[in-house]
Amino acid sequence: MKSTRRIFVSLLLVLVLAGVAATMMVIGRGHTLYFDNKTLEDYQGQTYKAAHKVVVTVKGEDVAKLGARERGSAIWIGQNFKMTLEITQEKGGEPEIREISLKLPYSVDGIVINLPALLAGLPEEAWFSEFVPAVTEEDPGAEEIPGEGDEFGLGDDLGLESDLGTGDI
Amino acid sequence: MSRKNNSPAGKRVLELVRGNAVPIMFIIICAIFIPLSGFSPSYLINEIVTRMGRNLFLVLCLLFPIMAGMGLNFAMTLGAMAAEIAIIFTADWQIWGIPGVVLAMILSIPFSILLGWLCGNLLNMAKGREMITSYIMNFFITGWYQLVVLYMMGSIIPIIHSSIKLPRGYGIRNTVSLLNMRQCLDDLLAIRVKGVKIPVLTFLLIGLLCLFIVWFRRTKLGQDMRAVGQDMQVARDAGIKVERTRVLSIVMSTVFAGFGMVIYLQNIGNLPAYTGHSQIGMFCIAALLVGGASVEKATIGNAFLGVVLFHLMFIVAPAAGGVITGDSMVGEYFRVFLSYGVITLALIMYETKKRMAKSKAGQELAEAQAKEEAAQ
Repeated sequence: MKSTRRIFVSLLLVLVLAGVAATMMVIGRGHTLYFDNKTLEDYQGQTYKAAHKVVVTVKGEDVAKLGARERGSAIWIGQNFKMTLEITQEKGGEPEIREISLKLPYSVDGIVINLPALLAGLPEEAWFSEFVPAVTEEDPGAEEIPGEGDEFGLGDDLGLESDLGTGDI
Repeated sequence: MSRKNNSPAGKRVLELVRGNAVPIMFIIICAIFIPLSGFSPSYLINEIVTRMGRNLFLVLCLLFPIMAGMGLNFAMTLGAMAAEIAIIFTADWQIWGIPGVVLAMILSIPFSILLGWLCGNLLNMAKGREMITSYIMNFFITGWYQLVVLYMMGSIIPIIHSSIKLPRGYGIRNTVSLLNMRQCLDDLLAIRVKGVKIPVLTFLLIGLLCLFIVWFRRTKLGQDMRAVGQDMQVARDAGIKVERTRVLSIVMSTVFAGFGMVIYLQNIGNLPAYTGHSQIGMFCIAALLVGGASVEKATIGNAFLGVVLFHLMFIVAPAAGGVITGDSMVGEYFRVFLSYGVITLALIMYETKKRMAKSKAGQELAEAQAKEEAAQ
């Protein structure tokens, strides 16, 4: 009876921990968002012009002040992204403030958002793209790996032959 | 008359000094070094508070094996390795912030339990030589850790992000960035008092562990551990499962060391994948001993005092060394020398005390026998 109870409590504890871990995996997934204030040309025969200036505010913090053809970035934890955009379409114009909420895909690390397309209310395919970091060639031997090489600094030569004069034997 | 009154007081002071030689020595060193270093009090307090938040959890996890009479658990490094593996996965899955810390802690539990169970069983085979066995066990498991992290991760164990992988395509880089997790625990609920940042949440976690330790000592298992620590044979005769209790103490220490390592790494903000754990055991043990703990007795107070004194010395020694010798490296060497030296000193003092007690008991027994023979 006591051992059954113990097994039950242990299983319950494991389940609770697994549940908490699963929740953390969902709510803690980090994304890097890149905001492009770039003219979207020839989307279904139309062009969506970049605004003169866009200020992106995330969690009350100005993360980017973008002129035309500029890119800014912010990090976000979770899938329900919220931002405030202060858009000035023309130089000297009155800024317009828009609150935007987006559902971010779990599997994508870096997300590029084209702001003119998003503000024009176009479908996701028009304003959403995955950020693919540029591949830089790295020398595989550039990073020193533990366990490789000679920890004692002796190199290949242990110095026995020359030091002890055993070379002639 | 006055001599009669002074003598016990003098003896008491001498006893006090003898019993707290290491902390007193460190207080004197710090008292000399602090003015020499030239650091402002607010800077020192800030540094000490940061280091307390970073290290206290790790130091406190050493109390469980001491309670069970297994000495200083050099194998707490195993928990640190478990945490590092968990952190690598968390970083690769891009789980950031507090959820990342919580996930890393949960993920470290199975690894810590497995390693702690292995270590505990091994230490049961080496009773009386637990410290040296756990020390060597640490090197043994480091080899396995390197095999997993250096060769299996990325080849057998899936690792997605190339920013974590070595350029050759498998194995983990020497340093993994934890920038998106950096000080997330410390910053949440943090308050500033006269320029000193107090990481309230981290201290709450440390406080919870302290409360757990106090509560645990009063539980049946806690009492069993203390009984085993005092005398294994008596405990066994009293029906306590000695081996199981000892294994549990090591498992608990390893699991909490894993949690402590996650707290430590989130504070640092990067993971030195192959060297992060190597010095942890040594420094935590040194800090505990500096606080006045011994191989067979340690309290929460020892852990707090030890972290403050040890890290105060760590902060001021290079600058003071620079002032004294004109070379800050001398101070750097000095603090490394001191951290190892204090472990050696504490172990020598423990052994000397043990031998003195043994010889005193022998003398008393011989005297009693002589008296008995004379009476006959």
